[in-house]
Amino acid sequence: MRALLLRRLLTAIPTLLGVVILSFVLMRLAPGGPFDGERALDADTRAALDAAYGLDLPLTEQVALYVGRLIRGDFGPSLVYRDFTVSELIAQGLPVSLTIGGLALILACILGISGGLWAAVRAGRWQDEAVMGLATLLTALPVFVTGPLFVLIFALGLGWLPVSGWEPGSATHLVLPVVALSLPFAGAIAKLTRAGLAKALNEDHVRTARARGLTERRVIARHALRPALVPVASYLGPAAAGLLTGAVIIETVFALPGLGRYFVQGALNRDYPLVLGVVTLYASLIILFNLVADLIYGWLDPRMRAE
Amino acid sequence: MTASRISLGVVAAIALAALFMPPFLPWTHSAIDWDAVRAPLLSAGHPFGTDSVGRDLLARTLVGTRITLAVALAAALVALVIGTAWGAIAGWFGGRTDEIMMRIVDGLYALPFMFVVILLMVVFGRNIVLVFIGIGAVEWLTMARVVRGQVIALKQRSFVTAAEAAGAPASRILSGHILPNVAGVALAYLLLTVPQVVMIESFLSFLGLGVQEPLTSLGILVKEGADDMDILPHALLIPGGMLVLIIVCMTVAGERLRDRLSQ
Repeated sequence: MRALLLRRLLTAIPTLLGVVILSFVLMRLAPGGPFDGERALDADTRAALDAAYGLDLPLTEQVALYVGRLIRGDFGPSLVYRDFTVSELIAQGLPVSLTIGGLALILACILGISGGLWAAVRAGRWQDEAVMGLATLLTALPVFVTGPLFVLIFALGLGWLPVSGWEPGSATHLVLPVVALSLPFAGAIAKLTRAGLAKALNEDHVRTARARGLTERRVIARHALRPALVPVASYLGPAAAGLLTGAVIIETVFALPGLGRYFVQGALNRDYPLVLGVVTLYASLIILFNLVADLIYGWLDPRMRAE
Repeated sequence: MTASRISLGVVAAIALAALFMPPFLPWTHSAIDWDAVRAPLLSAGHPFGTDSVGRDLLARTLVGTRITLAVALAAALVALVIGTAWGAIAGWFGGRTDEIMMRIVDGLYALPFMFVVILLMVVFGRNIVLVFIGIGAVEWLTMARVVRGQVIALKQRSFVTAAEAAGAPASRILSGHILPNVAGVALAYLLLTVPQVVMIESFLSFLGLGVQEPLTSLGILVKEGADDMDILPHALLIPGGMLVLIIVCMTVAGERLRDRLSQ
């Protein structure tokens, strides 16, 4: 287990470095820069600005400088939000994104696993077909369709919930974005749970449990459920990535002050350090989730601990 | 089987309508009918109504669908080509080559792709060709994994051994014996990739980073509909519904085909 952790952390470093360098080079290949405002700056001012932020150095040197600072935990200053460092902007946006994303992930797991289980127990019957059909429909619902649709129905039409915005401590502002964001993932998790349980119910240890005369409920709860959830655990990595990207849309639709909006705005404004900071953070989160998934495997299915 | 046939039929009907119907409509997707601004559903001359500046929503939805499907198909084909080549080479040569190539795939899986695509769009201007090359270039990973698995399984079959014994070069065996047998599974995953790409393209267009006016796509229409939904709910519901219908039908068809082939 410790060897696995160590190996994963060692491969995480080159992956992260690759992401940072790729994003850095891509951003710099772009025409235009952070200081192209409405008014053209005179040459001296521009040169001074470029020099102040190190933009006049050769690209390789800039990358090396950036990575060096990153290792010390310094994301640098924002080029567009002049009075803020990237760390400060991330500190503002991250709690919002993590709240929305985390709650959506939890909701998706609850809905998906219980839905998948309910269908698997009724395998082959109409309830099974109905839940799986619904799950397929859910996975096909893009958040940029469901988000506005929910606003239309529950906020503008019925007036039950606020249209958009963010108020610290206000739960009603969270309901629509979290539900809209979680639905596609709930559908995917339901499908994986259903398939995983169908497979697990055919395994030897489940047959043994049945032969011992245990009730079906007990067989599923004690013997089949844990190995059945392995595919769900392996989905956590991609789900984390999907939730983070979905959050970009959700934050736009519901006007939430999260990280995703900083990313899109930052990319459009050529705010290099801001974009790189957000990408680095996202990549780290995704790598972290993949690692958590690996740890969950071992807990769910002891046969996988040997490796 | 019936579900997949119905799904494919629906997609085919949508695709045909999107391809051939627009020239026969009285309005083009960008023409403004000054007498019917914000027309509701089922008004005379505009069965789907018009948007907030009086453009016919039937024409816009069909043209948007056409572009969304075209981009998705092109991107899925890019993914098919890269994924099949990568997977076939890794699976065929095995050993160290396989290890390194699949490690690269694993590593790429861990990347926050959408962010790389967004960066690509911002960097290279919002060029429609780049939209699909960019998407295709990041959507090939699953294809590569599946094809590699298939190739490894096929490598042990007796007809491949026979071809090897007869002295056929690797390129001949791959193109003549292996790839034709991978085609079915690759087609299933192509069907599953298209809805993924539809989703990504709409996502980008929704953010204003994908297809640009005067062209339109379902993502742009959903965005416009979302902006006006308090006065024109159908401007959101029609393109949104079309998008969901396409994604559901292609996913169902792809999944059925995949399950049938893997049995």
